[in-house]
Amino acid sequence: MMANRLLFAPFVLRRSFSLSSAALNKKNDSQLVPTKGVADLKDPRTVLEADEMKRKELLRNSVIEVNEPMNISPIIGIPDEHIETRRVRIFKPSKNTMQSGTNNINLWVIQFECRERWENPLMGWTSSGDSLSNIDGWLRFKTKEDAMHFCEKNGWQYSVEEPEVTKRPIKKSYADNFSWNKRTRVGSK
Amino acid sequence: MLRFVAASCKRTANNPSCVVWLKECRRHARTSGSKQQQTSAAQETKPKLLEVFIDEKKVLVEPGTTILEAAAMAGVEIPRFCYHERLSVAGNCRMCLVEVEKSIKPVASCAMPIMMNGMKVKTNSPMTKQAREGVMEFLLMNHPLDCPICDQGGECDLQDQSMAFGSDRSRLQVELDPKRAVEDKNIGPLVKTIMTRCIHCTRCVRFMNEIAGCEDLGTTGRGSDMQIGTYLENTALLSELSGNIVDLCPVGALTSKPYAFTARPWELRRVDSVDVLDAVGSNISVCTRSGDLMRILPRENDAVNEEWLADKSRHAPVDGLKAQRLTVPLLRPSKSSQLQMCDWEDALLAVGRALNGIQPSRMEAIVGPFVDAETMVVLKDLFNTIGSENVYLHVDSDLDKSCFPSSKDLDFQKNYLFNTSIAGLEDGVDLLLLIGTNIRFEAPLVNARIRKAWRNNLINDIAVIGENGLDLLYDYEYLGDSTKVLADIVAGKHKIVDRLKKAQKAVVILGQQILKKDSDSNAYEMVRALCDKYGAEFNLLHANASTVAAFDLGLKPSSERKTDNSDEQSLLWLIGVDDENLTIPNNSFVIYQGHTGDICANTADVILPGSAFTEKQGTMISMEGRVQQTLAAITPPNMAREDWKIVRACSELANYPLPYDTLLEVRERMQQLAPHLTRHSNRKLEKPSLRPPPISSVSAQSPVSLLPRMKSLVDYWQTDAISRCSPTMSKCVLSTKKEFDKRGIKY
Repeated sequence: MMANRLLFAPFVLRRSFSLSSAALNKKNDSQLVPTKGVADLKDPRTVLEADEMKRKELLRNSVIEVNEPMNISPIIGIPDEHIETRRVRIFKPSKNTMQSGTNNINLWVIQFECRERWENPLMGWTSSGDSLSNIDGWLRFKTKEDAMHFCEKNGWQYSVEEPEVTKRPIKKSYADNFSWNKRTRVGSK
Repeated sequence: MLRFVAASCKRTANNPSCVVWLKECRRHARTSGSKQQQTSAAQETKPKLLEVFIDEKKVLVEPGTTILEAAAMAGVEIPRFCYHERLSVAGNCRMCLVEVEKSIKPVASCAMPIMMNGMKVKTNSPMTKQAREGVMEFLLMNHPLDCPICDQGGECDLQDQSMAFGSDRSRLQVELDPKRAVEDKNIGPLVKTIMTRCIHCTRCVRFMNEIAGCEDLGTTGRGSDMQIGTYLENTALLSELSGNIVDLCPVGALTSKPYAFTARPWELRRVDSVDVLDAVGSNISVCTRSGDLMRILPRENDAVNEEWLADKSRHAPVDGLKAQRLTVPLLRPSKSSQLQMCDWEDALLAVGRALNGIQPSRMEAIVGPFVDAETMVVLKDLFNTIGSENVYLHVDSDLDKSCFPSSKDLDFQKNYLFNTSIAGLEDGVDLLLLIGTNIRFEAPLVNARIRKAWRNNLINDIAVIGENGLDLLYDYEYLGDSTKVLADIVAGKHKIVDRLKKAQKAVVILGQQILKKDSDSNAYEMVRALCDKYGAEFNLLHANASTVAAFDLGLKPSSERKTDNSDEQSLLWLIGVDDENLTIPNNSFVIYQGHTGDICANTADVILPGSAFTEKQGTMISMEGRVQQTLAAITPPNMAREDWKIVRACSELANYPLPYDTLLEVRERMQQLAPHLTRHSNRKLEKPSLRPPPISSVSAQSPVSLLPRMKSLVDYWQTDAISRCSPTMSKCVLSTKKEFDKRGIKY
């Protein structure tokens, strides 16, 4: 968390200022500008030195742009082994042939390569040294770019499997069941 | 807009300026319509489209499209039980009822074609909701409360849809009107039936009749007395596709017998993979729980398997890969002793010593049916570095070697692929000629595709040269069984020649499991010559998943091995080769690498435990040249390792270290050898463009009959190391034999 603050210092600063101004204006939430009603509070300008105020003003209005892609892997505490050696597959899940619903396939998921699982000798539960396997299939993304960005951010190698829909138009009709000149008619129903 | 135009037309019908304006309007409507059509997915459809409003969302559809399909285009999913997009329309579950404006009653959307412009469908109106609640109430009235002990629980359409669309209270008074009870049917070792749960959607009946072509399932009785069954008692379904009815069943009436009570769907991890039990390259999902293979399901791919899977591919690996596994390295200390367990170090040192001590020209490696392209690349690199060119693809010793392409044919991919492609069988094939193949069992899903095309009148002319009386699930003309017929056709003397000449697209499929006879049939050359002469598309129906990758990498068929009788020390490295009549040279050091100890493992001096296709990421190339990969769903058991890593480790100990350590590096090497091998895509198919030079003359031979190895369903179940170890497949053999005996069918 600490490191996170450091990285995003300008944003954090901004947010904290805007929050304080909101705190100033409890009576009127919709406006975030100090109003006359809070004049009894001490103006920070008068308390702080002019130079420091200037510096803060400058900080408040400046944004540091980091052009290289964001990589949070050095600071989130995942062991290196789970960053450098993992291969992630980004894909759209296929429809479960056991069911007719399609609501759960219009999204992108990530999946890590398989690691060993074993039965825990004490209780018979399944153990694994791979905690990342528990996000695969469950972490869902609206677009593949989101998923790619997530992998880049975490420093994983990834490959994207593009679904290419080759579906043929289906032409079916109830009347086919009764046509005599076609082999589609089957009479054993 | 059109409606507005029509109204204004009525008002001012006799005003000529209005007519001009009207024409203008129509033209505009047409062009704007075609623009929208261009943006839509179906581009090549006819220009005349109808507009439908699904929940006030406008969709343009072809006339005749059902409301249900139109709704799917608009992104609205209408609940259904009996409707399945690959089966015929039954319209009997009534779950898809929707309100259509100006219609008094709700309409079954799966059977209602859109024939007029401006139809307004309401899929969420009170009337629709009420209709669904009513249907659901009737369905649940006779459906048992089995969910906690039902195998379908968790992936049950009835469960989901009763949550989403059912009423929240019940009027059922079970003490007054008990639930219907139906006796369970025995339909073989693959499908378990609990018929009380059946909601009579008839999907299974339609599948078996339409797609599987096995007319055993049907319905008897009417109303609440209706029953799905086989008419007769204890009838095993004589089909190689019957496992699919388990997927189709929207409730738990048909469940998988081998999988019964083993796992719940929410416990399973799914990994997308590719089937290797035949060369079709069916897309599958491998479901595992706690490092244990639980079941295999098909994965939708319109270009390959649609959404079906053959029974052997579905059931054999699940228990076949748990028996007879090679899990530790084994070593035979001397020729007379038994194989003994050892460490990897000892086994690898023994291999390393052999690779160093034996003359390179007397070393051979043969790869079997399930080997991935990575292993072949590493093996070939190792042998070539040592100085041996003898890397072969195994050709079964029972088979006629002259129906295979020889090493000189491997320069052109077109010489050994299924060039028409599986989906291509539906594209205007005028004449289909099957030679020396029982395609129904050699590639069940290709056969299902042919049957589909035949049913839809897309292929109307099918001829067969080979075994007489095969039940291929469609009508065909039998031309004879010997190469004489082929010679006659090439010479232009056969009656089919006219049709071959006339056909715009003639497709010839040559089987690769033709039984060996006393003399060679020379079938490969003759069929090539036939295709070249009449401009027919040449297709090889491969038997094994590894064949195309091996040919792409330049491995020679093992029928070209040169073995002699000298007693000089030699080396034979078998990767997953199982063949009773394999020629093993005298004084040979045999290395067996593979996952199952089947036939050849017994003869080995060293056994290196490899991994099965569910345990490794490997490139497999299907018979049509589709480059796909299997993904590891579980890890290899005990001390078994990935195959390419084993070969790589051996190279280190033989002092010829190969320059790659990771899968990505191996794939880079693969890219150097054959760039297409690393472009994995289960949808896109790269067709070879280079045409081989035509074969004009074929040497005359005495007629040899072209009989496929598999004759009936009994032969289908156990054909390779995995399926021979599967208890489920053994049960299938038994039940099929019993069923054949009962029906008096010879096998």
